[in-house]
Amino acid sequence: MPRVDADLKLDFKDVLFRPKRSSLKSRSEVDLQRTFTFRNSKQTYTGIPIIAANMDTTGTFEMAKVLSKHTLFTAIHKHYSVEDWKHFSADHPECLQHVAASSGSSNADLEKLCAILQAVPALKYICLDVANGYSEYFVEFVKTVREKFPKHTIMAGNVVTGEMVEELILSGADIIKVGIGPGSVCTTRIKTGVGYPQLSAVIECADSAHGLKGHIISDGGCSCPGDVAKAFGAGADFVMMGGMLAGHDECTGEIIEKNGKKYKLFYGMSSDTAMKKYVGGVAEYRASEGRTVEVPYRGAVENTIRDVLGGLRSTCTYVGAAKLKELSRRTTFIRVTQQSSQMFT
Amino acid sequence: MPRIENDIKLDFKDVLLRPKRSTLKSRSEVDLMRSFTFRNSKGSYRGIPIIAANMDTVGTFEMALALHQFTLFTAIHKHYSVDDWSEFASKHPECLESVAVSTGTGDSDFEKISAIVEAVPQLKYICVDVANGYSEHFVHFVKDVRQKFPSHTIMAGNVVTGEMVEELILAGADIIKVGIGPGSVCTTRKKTGVGYPQLSAVIECADAAHGLSGHIISDGGCTCPGDVSKAFGAGADFVMLGGMLAGHSESGGEIIEKNGKKYKLFYGMSSDTAMKKHVGGVADYRASEGKTVEVSYKGPVDETIRDVLGGVRSTCTYVGAGKLKELSRRTTFIRVTQQLNTVFGNC
Repeated sequence: MPRVDADLKLDFKDVLFRPKRSSLKSRSEVDLQRTFTFRNSKQTYTGIPIIAANMDTTGTFEMAKVLSKHTLFTAIHKHYSVEDWKHFSADHPECLQHVAASSGSSNADLEKLCAILQAVPALKYICLDVANGYSEYFVEFVKTVREKFPKHTIMAGNVVTGEMVEELILSGADIIKVGIGPGSVCTTRIKTGVGYPQLSAVIECADSAHGLKGHIISDGGCSCPGDVAKAFGAGADFVMMGGMLAGHDECTGEIIEKNGKKYKLFYGMSSDTAMKKYVGGVAEYRASEGRTVEVPYRGAVENTIRDVLGGLRSTCTYVGAAKLKELSRRTTFIRVTQQSSQMFT
Repeated sequence: MPRIENDIKLDFKDVLLRPKRSTLKSRSEVDLMRSFTFRNSKGSYRGIPIIAANMDTVGTFEMALALHQFTLFTAIHKHYSVDDWSEFASKHPECLESVAVSTGTGDSDFEKISAIVEAVPQLKYICVDVANGYSEHFVHFVKDVRQKFPSHTIMAGNVVTGEMVEELILAGADIIKVGIGPGSVCTTRKKTGVGYPQLSAVIECADAAHGLSGHIISDGGCTCPGDVSKAFGAGADFVMLGGMLAGHSESGGEIIEKNGKKYKLFYGMSSDTAMKKHVGGVADYRASEGKTVEVSYKGPVDETIRDVLGGVRSTCTYVGAGKLKELSRRTTFIRVTQQLNTVFGNC
């Protein structure tokens, strides 16, 4: 008989932070930098732990150039060639400490990853990304990559529950990507009914990961700077953004003009659009699990980054956290029925 | 690990007032006036305890003139000069009993209110207003203001929880402003994730304040007269309105004409618009926490005030409260999933 987990799992929209006493005088006093040493690679990281998603529209070299200036991270999408990587690393060596090379779990993916890492030895991060991190095959793949690259920091996912976070960390991953279905252009929940509300997933997975000295990325579901803050408050070490970074100059794709307004295309990596672009179409046995949207063109990503970081600093002052590190320890979430006033919307 | 408080906190939209037996024959019998004596200033107040917000579009001298006719209160925004105040005081001395001077917590803010209070000795109310009333610096500032002005009534905020209401009252404030993020042009909740549903905040903060003989203002979140009644029903001593008073002749800013329709600009005091106007722009370490909207021009504010007061009187007759004072004692909220029939829209 099917079992029903009776306690309600929560999304970002279901909670707000309760403010707390604070001795900070200004948002400018808040330190958003974090330093981590990873469990398996033993490597050290310092930066503002926000990551541009490894989608072909947002995980671009152009994005990495801007984000690394703010010490933000970019998971570069897997569709760049080895040649592209060589050019980028030669032109922008300073960016390499803030980027990861992404890979799926096929043999071709592995070969390409090996070639890239050989061509760009300064690259220290690998992002192993599959839609369903629960497959035994994926666990074996993580072990293989760990064996081949003992000193690279490995991000792996996606999963949403504690036991699978533990399994992947023990298989050699350092940072687990958490999130199934929360993304703005993801339709997995509609197409399959599978998923896990993101706030609860992050709370539960962070707990499991931290117990093993591993780390997690909250991947997907952030629709505004407040959601980024909630992901950190819930215990995420890193927060990955896709939709919030879409529509900028640094994103792949042309600007589309319609009735005098400008747009850029944004789509899930399992959408019709992406599958047509990279594998010639949606295979007959599967459904598209992503949508394609036209997002209003937003100019340079610089302004959006400032807005996100400004929001995050403000959150920290409201709960009395002088450092991002303290945010989750100072977090009490209250449950709510609406995010903000609908009077003028 | 982060903590989750599991009982759901409520907004105005989540409840309705349950009607109760009543001996009142007409809405006209309802008395909306309240009298308070404040805990720290020992000053006394009499009026209908609705306040125009200290936003530069709403908390204007023109608004104060109109609201004073109804014994309503105006928290004058902090961007008027000392000369503006002197001129207003000499022309309309009768208004001074129902206005407050507003201030932030900077050193220059303190100097400016000192100058205004010196220039206008009849002024009895000071509204100390910051986005985040939880900062230690703010508590010290309230103490400094109390020390310098022992007999002025101090409004201070904003906060949303009982322990901070108590702290501010003990630091010298008389009336605590309650509300983080509920306002119609406030984006704090989206930008920071911080906030507290307004009905629950008012219920909890009123309880804390009244235990110390202090008072509270429900600040933000009212979208219609029913919300004002719910705030009073929840225990608010005063209710502050921003968006509901925007777009009137008495509001700051020019009338904008577009396709034959008239609008006025309304914006949060931490929006791009306000920060550009008053401090030259948004500092690069912060995000704007407010939005800018064009609200339909509504003419003189008198009509809106009559509508609000009529609504609150009607609430009182439904629950059998002969006086506004009795409203919260006669209030039973029921939880609901929709406010009204939306067949013909939300208005």
